Order: sequence, then structure tokens, then C-alpha cells
Amino acid sequence: MARCEACNVEIEGSWAHCPLCGNVVTGSPAPSPLPAIPLSFSRRRILRALFLISLAIILASFAAQLFFSHEFANIGVARSIWLGLTALWLVVLTAARKRRNLAKSTVYLVILVSLICVYWDFLTGWHGWALTYTVPILCASAIVALLVTVRLMRIESGEHIVYSGLTVLLGLLPIGFVAFGWVTTPWPSIICGALSLVALVIIQVFGGRAVRRELGKRLHL
Amino acid sequence: MTRETPTRDTWVRLDNASNIFLAARTESDPKVFRVVAETDHEVDPLILQDALDHTYDRYPLYHAVLRRGIFWYYLQDSDLRPAVSPENQHTCAPIYQSDRRNLLFRVVYHRRRITLEIFHALSDGTGALWFLTDLVGAYIRLREAGEQQDAPTQVDLPSAHPTDDVADAALGLVPDSFAHYFRRRNRGEAIPDEVEAARELGASRPEAAEPRLPGERPAGLGRLLRPLEKRVYRVQGTRTPDNRTRAVELTMPASEVLALARAEGVAVTMYLTAMFFEAIRRSAGDLGTARTLSASVPVNLRQFFPSMSPRNFFATVRVEHTYGEGTDDLGSISRALEAQFRPLASAPSLARKLGRLIKLETMPLLRIIPRPLKDSILRLMNWGNNRGLTVAVSNLGRVVLPEPAESRVGRMLFHVSAARPQFCAMSHGGLLTVSFTSPFSETGHIREFARQLTERGVDVSVAAARVTEAELTEAALAGAA
Ligand SMILES: [Zn+2]
Repeated sequence: MARCEACNVEIEGSWAHCPLCGNVVTGSPAPSPLPAIPLSFSRRRILRALFLISLAIILASFAAQLFFSHEFANIGVARSIWLGLTALWLVVLTAARKRRNLAKSTVYLVILVSLICVYWDFLTGWHGWALTYTVPILCASAIVALLVTVRLMRIESGEHIVYSGLTVLLGLLPIGFVAFGWVTTPWPSIICGALSLVALVIIQVFGGRAVRRELGKRLHL
Repeated sequence: MTRETPTRDTWVRLDNASNIFLAARTESDPKVFRVVAETDHEVDPLILQDALDHTYDRYPLYHAVLRRGIFWYYLQDSDLRPAVSPENQHTCAPIYQSDRRNLLFRVVYHRRRITLEIFHALSDGTGALWFLTDLVGAYIRLREAGEQQDAPTQVDLPSAHPTDDVADAALGLVPDSFAHYFRRRNRGEAIPDEVEAARELGASRPEAAEPRLPGERPAGLGRLLRPLEKRVYRVQGTRTPDNRTRAVELTMPASEVLALARAEGVAVTMYLTAMFFEAIRRSAGDLGTARTLSASVPVNLRQFFPSMSPRNFFATVRVEHTYGEGTDDLGSISRALEAQFRPLASAPSLARKLGRLIKLETMPLLRIIPRPLKDSILRLMNWGNNRGLTVAVSNLGRVVLPEPAESRVGRMLFHVSAARPQFCAMSHGGLLTVSFTSPFSETGHIREFARQLTERGVDVSVAAARVTEAELTEAALAGAA
């Protein structure tokens, strides 16, 4: 084994210099009980930085839209492309971040895309298409998609049930749009609301116990 | 394994002591620790995997994954199976990542070492040592059975940890020993006088008769608002390049250190702590106005309040020494520390401290604070606590394994990821290993510690993990040559 005469200690591993004082060691090296692990520069840290920068650019893009008033007819196409691209980018980011829980990412996406569409509608002169068509259709498709995937993929309910439940509750919101008279035609909202009620019954019948257990766990005081 | 209920039904709320590990973890201190057993041969991964499968089945707690609720974290049973792997990460690399449902421990091997790494929210050193003891015991048995006859045979794998039916249940997710000993039984019922309770529990111990102890410090807010005239020295340094924990192990004959401590009339832990203070002082050169050095020392509560649960069940005690106010030789410091430590680490003092903490935990107002906010509060309390600490020391004492493992295992040791310089001591087979961990690259205090030992005639051998660019380059060159 190698020795450091300055510290008067034996040294395990092939050190040319004492790891304690840096003096040159004497004697022959022995195998180290600890492996030499190469430095790792956290990929996670880089990804987090990229995510935050992306988010800042997206939010700035959305905010910048406010400066182009909707009377500016000639920027219409450019604005749509710009909005479309930033929205797509945001959706991709969200999906990538929440990819481990299908139901959770669905809730996030429904909320995000709904908000973007409402904003878009507002920017282009508030024709009411977002609340009339987009939001109800989005919610309804999310509910159908979740019911189908949970059935088909046999996803364990406990993990997903809270977020599936949230999606269904979101589906009830469009009924409020009709009640407040925010829509041009009530049918998409009514269909979406009805679908939510049906889904609520299905969840209650087939997963009521799981829902109560999961809520009990998460709300435990 | 057959269980009465589907596995996902089983869950348990995390106790407060474990919650702090979630709130206080950082990139350089992921609150992970490792316990290591060094065998007399190169470890065979296939047999180790076999042994892990056996041991894993006996410890339902280790099947748990961590989930986040609205108000608390909780542990939930899982169907995951662990796999052994070669050691390809630095010591105490992060284990728990939020949103990822993975096991809270890993088993790795390198040359002659079998290493168990655990996220501290799952278990404490004692609990981990039970698991490692069973794992190494099973491994040695399986290996020796394989040597005797080539055909695989049924090997009896008894557990070192006393596991009758009652104990088997205790290894599961249910028991939280803090709640068992220190929480009031029913709502509305007054908390029994904690001193009385402690007297009952520790009746066989002479210290239990002591009344209120003078050396005790205020807990909670009182600690945050510690008067600043006694400024506590805190070690500064260069962080390691990729924020990994710097680990250096000093191995020495246990009997020689024991003899040194006995000569001063103190226990080994406080002797080594005093030596640590002295090492910090020497490597600092000048303490400036912060002449108080303090250490936090975990105390295993199982020695006072019997518990078979491998979940966290420890409390920490704080001791300190101010330089320049009297005699500062190693013997005097260690005796002064011992005088502080003894009464604080006694059943009545600990019962009083924990009773207060649990009372805080069960306060209705605090219970309904959402978890992210609780985390922030705990983080703040932890920060306040850290301000008053120079180092941390931990001693798991002398370990004896059941045969045949006892004679096939050499030194045993452990590391803890560290927010400040720290050492972890443990002895086995006549060898005491003091492992230093730190978030900084500097090893000055370890050098001074080693030199104090060798000056006193103790044989010390040093094993260090490489952390800096230069050290790793040197290893790569040596490997290529
Ligand atoms: Zn040296």
C-alpha cells in the first residue's frame, strides 16, 4: 500500500499525491475500494433552464399580441401563424413534462389549450367561437379519450382517478357558459355537459371505492 | 407473496421527522445515506441478487414508494422489484425524484463491497443496518451453499433481525414509533406529563430519575432566535464540481481509539467529536470572532423506547465548545462535551423534546396547512437550525453479524450526504472506520483529524473517492497505464 510520510497514513487506491495533504506518496498503489466516477454535469439542470427560457418566450409572445389591435387586418395571417406556433410549443412542453401521468397531462392540456383559444378569440375580435365550440369539444373529447384509454390500457385507477375526475368536472363548466349566455349556439356545451354527467355516473359506479380511497389518502389530515 | 388486500391499498403517512428530509434535500445533499459491508472476496452479483430477492420479501417497508398528498407525503406499497447494480454513481447520489415512482433504496457492489443506499425519509441508520445485515447474511449463506454443491439447493435463510410474527408485522408500513410513544392517545385527552411518562418508560435507567435538566436548550423558535454573541463557526469551502458528496474514509484499529477515549474517561463518540472540533480549528487557522464550534449528534431512540420498526426513530442532540474560554486541550474538550451530551441523550430529556415536537405536529392549525407550504416552513426551520451548526457526527457503534457472515466480512462503514462537514463512525471486526463527508472539495479538516490520530500512535489508512477534475484525470491516466 502507498504511504504519505507527511500525514503518516497508508493510502488505498492509486494516488500519486496524498488525498489529504497533496504531498507525493511513496510505495506501490493498492486497488481502491471506491470507484472513480466521471463528473456528471446534470442534464436535468440544462433541461430545466431550456424549459424556463421557453416558457418566458411563450408568455412574452402571448403578451406581445396585445399590442397588435384586431383592427390591424393585414397582420391576420401572420398573427395566426405566430399564435399557432407558440401554442403548439407550449403544448409540447407540457406534454413532455407531465408525460408520466396520462390523466394529469390531459387535465393540464385541456386547461392550457382552452385558455389559449379564449385569448385568441379575444384578440381577433371576440366572436365567441372559443367558448361555443372549442372548449366544449375539447372537454368532451378529453373525457371520451380518458374513458377509452383507462378501459383499453387497464390503467390502475388509483393513480389516475383524481385527474380523470378533474377532467369530468371541467366538462361541466360549459353548462355555465350557456347559463350566462356566453355562447352563440348552446348545443356543443349541452352535449359536453351531458357526457360529463354520464362519465361521472360511470366513475361512481365502477370506481367509487377507488375514488374515495384515493381522496382519503390525498386529503388525510 | 400473498397478502389479504390488493397491495396498493396499503399506505401510511410520513412522520414529521421524515418530512424534514423531503423539505431540506438539495442538489448537493439529497438526504441519502449508505451502509457498506466489505467481504473477503470479490462480490458475485448473481448471488447478491438472489440474496436481495430473499431479503426484500421480508421487509415490506422497502417495497414502498413515496407519494404526495395535499397535506402530507405518504408511503405506499408497490409491486416493484429491486435489482443489484455495479457502483456507477458517486456516493449518496439522489434516489427520490418527485413524480417518479421508484423504490427508495438501491443495492450496489464494487470489488469486495456490498452497499445499501437509502433515501433518509424511508429509514434511519439502525433500520438500514438491519436490512444490510440480513442481506449480507443471506448472501454469504447462499455463496457457501453454492461452494459445497454445485446444484442449487434450498438454503435456510434466517433473519438476524428478530422476526417472529409480531416483528414481521412491525417491519411493515404501519408503525410510526414517534406516534406510538409521544402522541396523545385520544383527542381531548390531555398529554400525560412527559416527565412522568419518561420515568415510566425509562424506569430501569438511573438517569430517568433526574429532574429538569439545566443544559437543555430551547427548541423551535427559541433556537432560531439564539443570541448572536456566541457566534458559531461555519466551515466555508469550494463546492465539488458536480455537487457530489466528497467522501474520505479513515480506517483504524478500534481498540486503539477506544483506549485513547478511555484514558480521557469519555465515550468514543464524544472523543472523536472533540477531535473533529480541534481538526476544524487547526485547518481554519483562525476562527475569528466565531469561536464556538457545535455538532449535532443523532441518538437512536430504540435504546430508550423499544421499537422494532425500521422507520426513522431518532432524535438529534446538540453539543458545543467555545475556544478561548478556559482549557482547550483534547481531553478537556471531550470531557466537557460528554458532560453536555449525557443528560441530553437521556430518556426523560428526549421524551420531553419529542413530546413538544409531536404536540406541534398535531396542532389543528398546522395540520391543515397544505404540504408545499409545510415544506417551506420546514425548510426555513432547517435553515435556522443549520446556522447554529458547525459539523454533524454520527456513530452507529460496534456491529456484530451472525455467523457465517461475521467471519467473512471485514470492515463495515457508512456515509451520509452532507450539508456541512460530517463524519460517520462504525466498527466491525476490530476495525473502526470514520467516514468524512462534505459538500466541499477541501480535505484540510480530515488531514488534521488523521494527523491527530497518527500523532497518538494510531495506524490509519485512508480511502478517498475522487471528486475533482484533476483527481479523476489522474485515475484515468493510472488506469490507462
Ligand atoms: Zn498526506
